[in-house]
Amino acid sequence: MQKEIELTTPLSEESISQLKVGDVVTITGNIYTGRDAVLPKIVKASQEGTLNDLGIDLQGSVIFHTAVSPAGVGPTSSNKVEIECTFEPLSKAGVKMHLGKGAISKETVKALSEQNAVFAIIPPVTALLGSQTVEREVIAFPELGMEAFNRLKVVKYQAIIAAAKGESIYD
Amino acid sequence: MISIQEKVADCLVRAGSTFREDQKNAYRKAIADETNVQSCWVMQQVLDNAIVAEDRRSPLCDDTGIPHLFLEVGKKRSVTGELLGQIKEGVAMGLRQLPGRPMAIKGDDYARIDQSGGLDEDSGALAPSPILIKPVEEDVLRLTILMLGGGPAIRGITQRVFHKHSVDVVIEEIVNRAKEGVSKLGCSPCVLAVGIGRSQFEATSLMMEAMVYGDFSKQSDFEKRITEKVNEANIGPLGLGGKHSVLATFAKIGPQRASGVRIVALRPCCCFEPRRATIEL
Ligand code: SF4
Repeated sequence: MQKEIELTTPLSEESISQLKVGDVVTITGNIYTGRDAVLPKIVKASQEGTLNDLGIDLQGSVIFHTAVSPAGVGPTSSNKVEIECTFEPLSKAGVKMHLGKGAISKETVKALSEQNAVFAIIPPVTALLGSQTVEREVIAFPELGMEAFNRLKVVKYQAIIAAAKGESIYD
Repeated sequence: MISIQEKVADCLVRAGSTFREDQKNAYRKAIADETNVQSCWVMQQVLDNAIVAEDRRSPLCDDTGIPHLFLEVGKKRSVTGELLGQIKEGVAMGLRQLPGRPMAIKGDDYARIDQSGGLDEDSGALAPSPILIKPVEEDVLRLTILMLGGGPAIRGITQRVFHKHSVDVVIEEIVNRAKEGVSKLGCSPCVLAVGIGRSQFEATSLMMEAMVYGDFSKQSDFEKRITEKVNEANIGPLGLGGKHSVLATFAKIGPQRASGVRIVALRPCCCFEPRRATIEL
């Protein structure tokens, strides 16, 4: 089995710059969740400078592309247009890791690299993730229900680095 | 005495949260045999997830799936409207216990298509599929519940194949369709469910039956040939490469038309499927 690199949020520039494609990482600490319905709203709030009002701090953050339902969490496809188009602006706003599944475009891989951010994939292991999630809280846009912007406190979520330094695991 | 509703509810929870022994063994074998470390890691995660899900009786995946029902009826048993009603109530009870992801779309025909009516927050509001009834020789009344996820429904395909009087032609077409489906599905390794019949309805029913009876440790020559050929594509778990894009094929070949056409239903079941459990009522 592969050696794991332990990461704790908020993620520092150095901890991200050491990562390469194929590395297995564990993530511990607070992470955010959002998918196609809410992420474009977060981008808009960041461009309008209203993230603080919503209680959101994206510096060094991880965004997990998932709904949060009574059944738990699990990655949705990150290459849906409404999700993938948020990689670049959210990375510019401080997000260091986008966590989901599926292959992303070459342009997105390049944009991530320019911001020293990475894309990691996580298998759809809902039960395991449930056992590693200690807190969950709706932070913004509660009217979106399962698709609201949430904060999770997690312990050792495992993921694999799929895009870093301009390279992709799917190349 | 345990009511029919409670038995059905328990069966649904097991379907959504449990790997069968043959399924666990298929993963153990694949992990031992895989040389791609990243693919090994993915399959180990899937297996660890199954163990935690079984222990906590919690969903294997947050897409908990749509309940599909298969009822085997022995010669001396009868199916009444009352029994079908109790099964339906048991499904709703099981969905609340699992808990299933709230996925029932509200509203009239148009609102259900464009999803403008929103979702019902009650997990139990999700309607099961129409029930498939099969007469059997055994003296049983046996219900199997399959929880079918959205990814494989997107990638599944039911279409004709012109067989040209050759099994090889049919296998090749299934393999080509499967390679595309598996590579786009993402949540692999897969199990390929295949039904071959005379109409779209019959082929799909046969595919359902293949998922109900399929066993990872018992593979026919036809099933092995499909699995091996798809695995040559090196797609691998989560598309990361490796020898195990497909862990098994579950195929059911029914009666065929006296013509040049075979209708093939193919579903690339994802890494947790077929999520199924069985109960005698
Ligand atoms: S395809 Fe299967 S594993 Fe993937 S999200 Fe759907 S149900 Fe879950």
